[in-house]
Amino acid sequence: MDRREFLRQVALWSAGLSVSVPHFRICEALAADGRQPLLAHATGRDYRELVDRVLSPLGGMGKFVRPGDKVVVKPNIGWDRNPAQAANTHPQVVRVLVERALDAGAGEVLVFDRTCNEERRCYVNSGIQEALAGIRDRRLKFFHPDERKYVPVDIERGKAVRRLDIYRDALEADSYINVPVAKHHGLSRLTLGLKNSMGVLGGTRGAMHHNLGQKLADLATVIRPKLTVIDATRILLANGPQGGNLDDVRVLDTVVASVDPVAADAYATTLFGLRPEEIESTVAAHAMGLGEMDLNRIRIVKA
Amino acid sequence: MKNTRKIPLYYWRRLSQLACLALFFFLFVRTDYSGTDTIEYAVNILFRIDPLLALSASLAAGFFILLMLPAVGTLLLTLIMGRFFCGWICPMGTLLDGCRSLAPQTQRESDGKYRPLKFYLLGFLLMGAWFGLPMAGYFDPFSILVRGLALAVDPAVNALSTTFFTYTYQEGAAWVNAITEPVYAFLKATILPFNQKYYDLTLLSLGILLVVFFLEKLERRFFCRNICPLGALFAVTARFSLLRGKAGAKCGTCRNCRDVCRMGAIDEDRNISMLDCNLCLDCLHHCPGNKISFRFGVQSQAKPTFALSRRAFVGSLALGALLPFFLKSRTLARQPDELLIRPPGALPEEEFVGRCVRCGECMKVCIGNGLQPAFLQSGLEGMFSPILKARTGYCEYNCTLCGQVCPSGAIAKLSVPEKKKVKIGNAVFDRNRCLPYAKGIPCIVCEEHCPTPDKAIKFREAVVENSRGEKVTVKQPYLIDSLCVGCGICETRCPLPGASAVIVTSAGESRNPAKALPDTGSAWQVI
Repeated sequence: MDRREFLRQVALWSAGLSVSVPHFRICEALAADGRQPLLAHATGRDYRELVDRVLSPLGGMGKFVRPGDKVVVKPNIGWDRNPAQAANTHPQVVRVLVERALDAGAGEVLVFDRTCNEERRCYVNSGIQEALAGIRDRRLKFFHPDERKYVPVDIERGKAVRRLDIYRDALEADSYINVPVAKHHGLSRLTLGLKNSMGVLGGTRGAMHHNLGQKLADLATVIRPKLTVIDATRILLANGPQGGNLDDVRVLDTVVASVDPVAADAYATTLFGLRPEEIESTVAAHAMGLGEMDLNRIRIVKA
Repeated sequence: MKNTRKIPLYYWRRLSQLACLALFFFLFVRTDYSGTDTIEYAVNILFRIDPLLALSASLAAGFFILLMLPAVGTLLLTLIMGRFFCGWICPMGTLLDGCRSLAPQTQRESDGKYRPLKFYLLGFLLMGAWFGLPMAGYFDPFSILVRGLALAVDPAVNALSTTFFTYTYQEGAAWVNAITEPVYAFLKATILPFNQKYYDLTLLSLGILLVVFFLEKLERRFFCRNICPLGALFAVTARFSLLRGKAGAKCGTCRNCRDVCRMGAIDEDRNISMLDCNLCLDCLHHCPGNKISFRFGVQSQAKPTFALSRRAFVGSLALGALLPFFLKSRTLARQPDELLIRPPGALPEEEFVGRCVRCGECMKVCIGNGLQPAFLQSGLEGMFSPILKARTGYCEYNCTLCGQVCPSGAIAKLSVPEKKKVKIGNAVFDRNRCLPYAKGIPCIVCEEHCPTPDKAIKFREAVVENSRGEKVTVKQPYLIDSLCVGCGICETRCPLPGASAVIVTSAGESRNPAKALPDTGSAWQVI
């Protein structure tokens, strides 16, 4: 089923004309692709310049955002923590990506996350609210998720979950750009791109934690970023995912970007001195053919 | 007369009432997080200008609470202008006046027979506050009003609008949504609360508020005339006020002033009792002969329209003084409820309950929806005081708003670093329910949410047999007591249906050294 058909189903379901829950399946393009996915990483103190640099080997933002597109930029704004504490995506990284999407002619750019701590505190303390307030463009919409806009979606290919409530805008986006922060997590060891997708889920997310790795892979069958940009400008090494102690933070000044969400996670894992095989969600997603985790089969470019 | 075009005085009174009501609602809506750690407006000012609460909280505390100093100003103004507060400022009074047109009633005067009630109540409440039975907040008009609004009306209005706009969003045509969605966005940005909140005692809080309004059916301002202990305090003060109303004794027989008086302050001989008059000034307007005047320093011989029974008054004082001693023989006095978790910065229990005015401001402002009104957990005298109920909501780690809005200092105003050092309770795991222990299922949601920089919830890896008989390795949570602040987010977020597998109790709370937890190296070992 293609995206257009899915949108039609959502519309019918929302209008009460259809009782069947929308379901979604991505085409197997990536698995069938056969080519090695491209991944870029770059290091630098100036985060604005850094993001531009890491995107250039991938073809720049114009490759992912066409004029008039509905774009979702999905950072991690999960916690009531400040930028130095490395629990949320760095505000400057988010800001540049939003600006580049607008430059590329996006029809609208939506930025949101379903937070774990109190919503408004997270948006403010993360620094993202202030950073985005500097962009004076009516196409940018930075908002708190609206309870009414979660759509139940059957996860056709799901092995551990059958149905999830997913935020409508995330499903409807022409271009979904995932911008996680790389950090420690007690249960999944690290939280990276696949884990960041939990921010578009409604309902009680606690239940996701039973067999988390497979469930994240299941979610990745329906939430399919066109671009994953992993913020490793500073990473949290312990007491994640919210940290709070600056001794647990290491500054790397690094950003990783790839069209392949699994490859992005796999590479970012190495920044923590871990191997991709140690992260369950990476392994599960790879097994489902959602992306590459073998570092030797990823074209890694230092930008 | 030449000045017939002059704006009548009662127009100014109405203007003042409307302005104060608008200010009241504005401050009520602003009793919320607004993007900074501190609340910019003095949202609790209504309670700090209330001399009844100032007096009762101070009597309970044993010293004058400086935070409530503005209340002295109110009393001083009453000494000059009588019960102007009741007529010109009190938002409850304004709402009662306002709802009169909604429910027209026959003017049946109760000839003042209930009038002494409020004085007995005042005496009882103040004695009670002094001796340890703090109940002023149950009868104070502002406490009743704000509690009713915060715990019942505000969340209900939000539920109603959410239901309505969800319906239009899901069922409405595009053109309908083009109208309704901007309206919803506007309401959300202005008067609606940010989130749907859930409260205990919603119907009770609403019910008490409604009773005040239904009493209007009996006579105008029934509550103000007969029950309001704050009004009683004003009345006692207004007895000595400089401003006095005087009506003509030799006027005709129209009795317009008596008919129009909302407080029943004018007797048969048209004397105006300053104990009752709330300076609404309607009588000035309705007197055909312009015989009524309000002047400073006039000798007035007007007697109250009622008589206090000395026996009843002394009896109510004695009741207030003696009843507290019965409280000391309850089991509660020996063993407090272990789920009685007070907000961070709360004073030691007895002092806390004494000073808490039951205004509901802390519960309104609690962004984690953790603070709930107590029912009987801290006794009959602790009803509506705030407790943390961690299954429905938690205490946000970086937030200090409750201490900022508390008008009486029952919850101390803490800085963020100070607050983080306060322990309000301690988490306990129920290993019979906790998934990694009981079922061999991985979980650790509590550990993920634990907010202390060095997590109070840690885990050990253990090999256990799950329900299918398989040996699995799971991470089992445990608690470091000395790191846990008792915020309760673990209990809120525990994904089990029904009761949480991790429960916060008040054990170890820092305001009560007697509840110290056993800890390696502490006094527990020495003993």
